[in-house]
Amino acid sequence: MNEQVRPVMLEQAAQATERPKQPLLSRRYALEIRQQLAWHRQAAIIGLALLLGLGISAAILIAAGVPAGELLNEFVILTVFDAQSLKAVLFQASPMILVGLAGCMAFRAKFWNLGLEGQMIWGAIGATAISLFEVGPPALRLPLMLAAAIFCGLLWALAPVLLKLRLKVNEIISTLMLNYLAINFLLHLLYGSWKDPKSSFPYSPQFQPFERLPELFEGISAAVPLAVVVALLALWFLGISRAGLYLRFVDANPRVAGAVGVPVQKMIIGTVLISGAMAGIAGFLVTAGQEGRLTQSFYQGYGFSGILIAFLARNNPVAALVVALLMAMLFVAGRSLQVFYQIPFSMVQLIQAILVICVASSDFFIRHRIRRVQGGES
Amino acid sequence: MSNLNAIQLTGVSKSFDGFMALSQADFTAKWGEVHALLGENGAGKSSLMNIAAGLYAPESGSLFINDNPVCLTGPRDASRYHIGMVHQHFKLVKPFTVAENIQLGLPVGPGNHAFAGSHRQRLTALEQRISDKAAELGFTIDPRKTTESLSVAEQQRVEILKVLLAGARILILDEPTAVLTDQEAERLLETVRAFARQGAAVILVTHKMSDVKRFADRVTVMRGGRTIQTLDPRSVSVPELVRLTVGESAPASEYRPATPGEVRLQVRDLRSTGAGGHGALNGVTLSLRAGEIYGVAGVGGNGQSELANVLMGLPEPCQGTLDLAGFGDLRRASPEQRRELRIASIPADRYGTALAGELSVAENFGVGQIHSGRYGSFFNLRRKRLEADAAEAVSGFDVQGVRSLKQKAALLSGGNAQKLVIAREFSRDPQLVLVHSPSRGLDVRATAAVHGRLRAARDAGAAVLVISEDLDEVLALADRIGVMNAGRIVAEFDRPADRQAIGRAMVSHGELSHGELNLEGVNHE
Repeated sequence: MNEQVRPVMLEQAAQATERPKQPLLSRRYALEIRQQLAWHRQAAIIGLALLLGLGISAAILIAAGVPAGELLNEFVILTVFDAQSLKAVLFQASPMILVGLAGCMAFRAKFWNLGLEGQMIWGAIGATAISLFEVGPPALRLPLMLAAAIFCGLLWALAPVLLKLRLKVNEIISTLMLNYLAINFLLHLLYGSWKDPKSSFPYSPQFQPFERLPELFEGISAAVPLAVVVALLALWFLGISRAGLYLRFVDANPRVAGAVGVPVQKMIIGTVLISGAMAGIAGFLVTAGQEGRLTQSFYQGYGFSGILIAFLARNNPVAALVVALLMAMLFVAGRSLQVFYQIPFSMVQLIQAILVICVASSDFFIRHRIRRVQGGES
Repeated sequence: MSNLNAIQLTGVSKSFDGFMALSQADFTAKWGEVHALLGENGAGKSSLMNIAAGLYAPESGSLFINDNPVCLTGPRDASRYHIGMVHQHFKLVKPFTVAENIQLGLPVGPGNHAFAGSHRQRLTALEQRISDKAAELGFTIDPRKTTESLSVAEQQRVEILKVLLAGARILILDEPTAVLTDQEAERLLETVRAFARQGAAVILVTHKMSDVKRFADRVTVMRGGRTIQTLDPRSVSVPELVRLTVGESAPASEYRPATPGEVRLQVRDLRSTGAGGHGALNGVTLSLRAGEIYGVAGVGGNGQSELANVLMGLPEPCQGTLDLAGFGDLRRASPEQRRELRIASIPADRYGTALAGELSVAENFGVGQIHSGRYGSFFNLRRKRLEADAAEAVSGFDVQGVRSLKQKAALLSGGNAQKLVIAREFSRDPQLVLVHSPSRGLDVRATAAVHGRLRAARDAGAAVLVISEDLDEVLALADRIGVMNAGRIVAEFDRPADRQAIGRAMVSHGELSHGELNLEGVNHE
């Protein structure tokens, strides 16, 4: 009854038994799905992936003409142990932390907020408007600018989230397109009524001294503690408050979340608005902290960096702080490479991309296990 | 039947994260037989068969095919040895057609006639082969239909055709009857038995004693990762099989009469205007009293799922009212209010609506009471307290397989996942319990535990509504039975109910005699 199958099998099976030992390269491997992996092993895998990415980046930098011996010097010693550079790194890190956390927030609510740049621009526009129209007494000017930045950033995130929840409009498209709207409105302002009357260049008039973020002790900008406070609030929101648990349910399975009594819509709207507000604060930090005026390119690179930081940190706010610091170091080091070795700044983006690809691929090893099959046939 | 071994596993062990899923399991299936693999949830049946199908590599032990040792590197490799497995959760690409799905499973290689000609020609040829094979097995299927438009039973047939057309002669079916109605299950098992009679080997993974008794030639019993015994099902009684699978005598479920109180939930004229003119619900009316279990019986697809959704507050477009005593229309209650009203909902789709598989056991438990403020205010979640409560519930409701409260809920077996859901839903002493297919996919012992919990809730004064397509379950549990047919309750029966009469009401097309149609029975007790 099984004549037609048996001969084939016997032959195959015979092959298998004849050759128990095999050369290394022709050994066979089997792929298995892992059920669960302890967090420290996951961290180790991601860490290895980051190291691999750094190795590849180092190789590219060396090929581009940076002496191998200078790499550590440029990237670590001179950025961290030099007081001036450290200040620059911290200063650079503060808006990075904010956009990174903004990314984490939105992604935790399963909302792909690619509109961080647009929300940043609106935050900066809001802050600049307070300065231009001299709203409130000088002592209250900075807090008012901050409030305006929060409000405007939040408002720019409101339309996409409502469109998504009410009409199922894809937020990837809507937030991305709203970026162009924001950018062109910014240019409209800077080439139009907000142009600096003194120089006629397309940027806003210089802020008054009391409208700029002050330097605190040791010359560290007030932007740094502000970013830390916002980061702590984010930590509380995601880690300690009830909202954190609610969001984990929304992220894991919205249908289950709704059925067990999590206010899914409120959570999504609230979290996305917070994300927009954080991006708005980042816009305020760059304009009032670094530039001292609204310029036409202050936002560049931050939107992508925010998404990248959130991704590398796996939406974990503590990890986002660390990654944002590393990214800031990379930015500062990239600028000095530009000066000393004529290496284009796009190299920084290349390194960012390599790191992202490495960490993204490491996911495969978190989800799968590779086993060598003993004595398999070739 | 022949005496040749088709597939043999000896001394197989496998662990997941330190948990021994299989230890020294032995299994042999012969050509020409239907061999049942019987055991409770988590006994290791699926793990053993996943190893036979090449999905997992064993840590120790060997696999023989035709008494020759082989080593599998994956399902493709298994398919070369003519092993095919139909999984409990179907692996079909939903928007693809039947033929396209089957084509994906075909062996790849030069000289394979399935890969000659243009894509269109190949697909047409394959469609013909599918129809022929289906006819050979005794059913019809349209190979051009998309798989998402098929019923569960039809999807299962596609899965079977997929492995058979890929050349499987050793067919492994993992819990094939769990998703089928009685009639569908019967047809399927007859089909596979005929397939075995032609000389193939069929392995039937199941926990249903009746499948084993009626369709298996031999049965291997598994318990706790070990194979206990292989025997002839005709020479052993059902209680003896139960004893072997459970390890001791299964807890007997004893019926105690109910003491019903006032009407707690009045369902009035639920109607949905579904697609195609005829709605899934066509005027469901029933009343549920405190201290009783009301069972809704019926053939699957007669509006049970829609009724369950409406009752449990899941999105479902519908008209009509649910009048809860002391509150008003339950349909206006938010999920939060439903919790405050102490309403327990146990949906059929455990991982689709009840548990977030990716989240931990503790979180899945704690979210149930989180609104009440027991775990701190909105600003401060008291994780310690939540975890302590979860630990207590896990032991109190006998949820097994929890190695850590931080473990993903998805790693629990079906029965234990259900116990976790019940632990959460019953954590606040419910006044109204809504249950849909509570024992779907559960073994004898877990089913008994779940039924025990529902009875205990009833005895504590809760009103319990059980919707189930499993008539045995309804008969075992319910104090009163309503039969659902074409979106309505067409007949109600008091305990002890006549099984034959219920069966007739389930399949009739509205032309019921007045004796059976006693909808007003609620009022004239």
